[in-house]
Amino acid sequence: MSVKQEEQQVLVSLRDVKKKFCKNLKYNMYYGILDVLRQSVGLPAGRGPLRAHEFYALQGINLDIYAGQIVGVVGANGSGKTTMMRLISGIYPVDGGTIETSGVRRTTSIFALNAGMNPVFTGLENIYLKGAMFGMSKAEIDRKLDFIIAFSELEEFLGSPVGNYSSGMKARLAYSVAIATEPDLFIIDEALAVGDTVFKAKCYEHLQAYVKEKPRAVIYVTNRISKVMAIADRLVVMSKGTIRKDTMDIQAGLEYYIDVCLADMDVNRKALRLKMIRHFEM
Amino acid sequence: MFSRISHIWRGLHAYRYLVWQLVRTNLIGSYKKSFIGMAWMFILPILAVAVWVVLHGAGIVDPGDTDDVPYPVYVLLSTSIWGFFIDLYRTVSQVMVNSGRLLVMKDFPKEVLVAEKVLEHLINFAIPLVVNIIVLIAFGIRFHWTALWFIPSLIPLLLLGLSIGMFIAVIRVVAVDFATIVDEGLKLVMFLTPIVYTSRIQVSWLAEVVTWNPLTYLIGFSRDLLTKGIYTDVGPYLICSGASLVIFFLVLIFFQMTSGRVLERLTIV
Repeated sequence: MSVKQEEQQVLVSLRDVKKKFCKNLKYNMYYGILDVLRQSVGLPAGRGPLRAHEFYALQGINLDIYAGQIVGVVGANGSGKTTMMRLISGIYPVDGGTIETSGVRRTTSIFALNAGMNPVFTGLENIYLKGAMFGMSKAEIDRKLDFIIAFSELEEFLGSPVGNYSSGMKARLAYSVAIATEPDLFIIDEALAVGDTVFKAKCYEHLQAYVKEKPRAVIYVTNRISKVMAIADRLVVMSKGTIRKDTMDIQAGLEYYIDVCLADMDVNRKALRLKMIRHFEM
Repeated sequence: MFSRISHIWRGLHAYRYLVWQLVRTNLIGSYKKSFIGMAWMFILPILAVAVWVVLHGAGIVDPGDTDDVPYPVYVLLSTSIWGFFIDLYRTVSQVMVNSGRLLVMKDFPKEVLVAEKVLEHLINFAIPLVVNIIVLIAFGIRFHWTALWFIPSLIPLLLLGLSIGMFIAVIRVVAVDFATIVDEGLKLVMFLTPIVYTSRIQVSWLAEVVTWNPLTYLIGFSRDLLTKGIYTDVGPYLICSGASLVIFFLVLIFFQMTSGRVLERLTIV
C-alpha cells in the first residue's frame, strides 16, 4: 500500500469477501429451493460452508477502492472479475465477508452496453430508457441531454431506430448515458470492447479528468493489455477467485499477469504480449 | 413487516420513471412494426366477442340459465374477468426469468418489474373493457349505478393473481417443475370456475368444487355487479377479498426477501 493511497478517501472496502456457485444444474436448483425456504422463515441463506458441487468463485477478497483512482482489473476467464463487480454493484449478495461503501451515493455499472436498449425505438427514446435504468429521473435526463448528445456525437442519428445503429454507435450512446449519471463509483466491465479508437481515446481522457474532479473512482475490468496501460493507475490481478497482485506499477502487474496467471499461454504469444507491455506508448 | 413494505414503496418511488419507461416501451414497442399499430388493442377484443356470438348462435355451447343475461354477454364478461386474473398471473410469474439479463446488469428493486407488469396489464384490460361495455349496451344491458363499483370490486382478484404470480416468479427460477404444475393447474381452475357455464350446475361434485372455489365469488360478484346491478354472495366475496389482501402482503415480503438471492441461480438457467 502506497503512502498516496493511505491519504485518500476509501470509497469501497471489501473484507474477506466470498461468493460461491454450484457447478451442477440440478444441485443448483435444489440449493436454490433450500435458500428460498431458509429466507422465508427469516434464516440467512448461502453463508454456510461449501455444499456438494459448490465452489468458491471468490474467496478471501480484501480490497479498498480509493477516490481519484482508475483501477484496472485483469484476470483470465473465470477468475472472478465480473462476479466481484456484481457484488460491489449490489446485484449479488455476498456469501461471506463484508462490502462497505463510504460517500458513494451512486454506483453505475456497465456490464453490457446494449443491455436494456430497445432496437425499435429511436436513439433519443433509448437515452431516456437507458437513463431510467441507471436510476435517473426524467428531469435529470432532460438536464443532461445536451451532454449525452454531444458526448456520443450522434446528434444526426438520434431520430433513427437503435436497431439500425452499428455496434460502435450503440456503445457510444449507452456509454454517454452511463457517464451522464455522474457516479461516484463507475464500474466498466469489458464494456468498451467495441467502438472506434477515437471515441475510446476520448473516453479514457474524460475518465482521467472525471476521477480528479470529485471524490470518485473507476473500476475498469478488461483483459486487453493496451487498455489497461492506457488508462489504469492501479492494477488488480485476479486468478481462480482470489486477488493475486494489487499494485500501482502497471507494467510489473501486467508482466506478473502474463507470466503467472496465463501460464498455459503459447510461448510466442506470451513473448509478444510482454514485448507490448515493455514498449507501450500512449 | 411495515418497515419492509415501506422499503419496497421507497424503492418503487425512486424508480417510478423506470416503471413508466418500461410500460411505455413494452406497450408501444409491441405495435411499432405494425401498420395499424395500437388499433390491434381494439380489434382483438371485438374478434373475441364475434367468436362467442357465432358459437352461441350455432348452438355449439349451451351454458344453462344465465338469468336473462344474453349468453355472449355472460361469457364475454366472465372470460374478460378471468383474463384479468390469469394474464396478470402469467406475466408476473415470468418476470424473473424473462428479465434475467436486465437484472444481472443493474441493481434496482425487483418490484419495479412487477409494478410495470401490473400497469401494463391494467392498460391492456381497460381498452377491451370499453369494447365489452359497448357490446353489453348493444345486447340490451342497462347499467345500474352500482355498476360503478365494478372496477374497485376487481381489486381483490388483482391482488390474488399478483400474489400467485410473484410467488411463482421466484419459485420458477429454482423449481421449474412446481411452476409448471401451477401453470397447468390454473388452466384447470378455469373449468372449475363459473365462466363459460353458470354456477347453477347439475353435476354434484363440480357444484361442490365451485362452491369452495374463491374465484367463483371474486369473479361472480364483479360480473353480477355490472350486468345485473346486484351484490351476490357478499359474505364469501368479502372473506375471499380479505384473504387476498393478507396473502398479497405476505407474498410481497417473500418476494422482496428472496428475489435477490435467487438471481444468482437465474444466470445459469
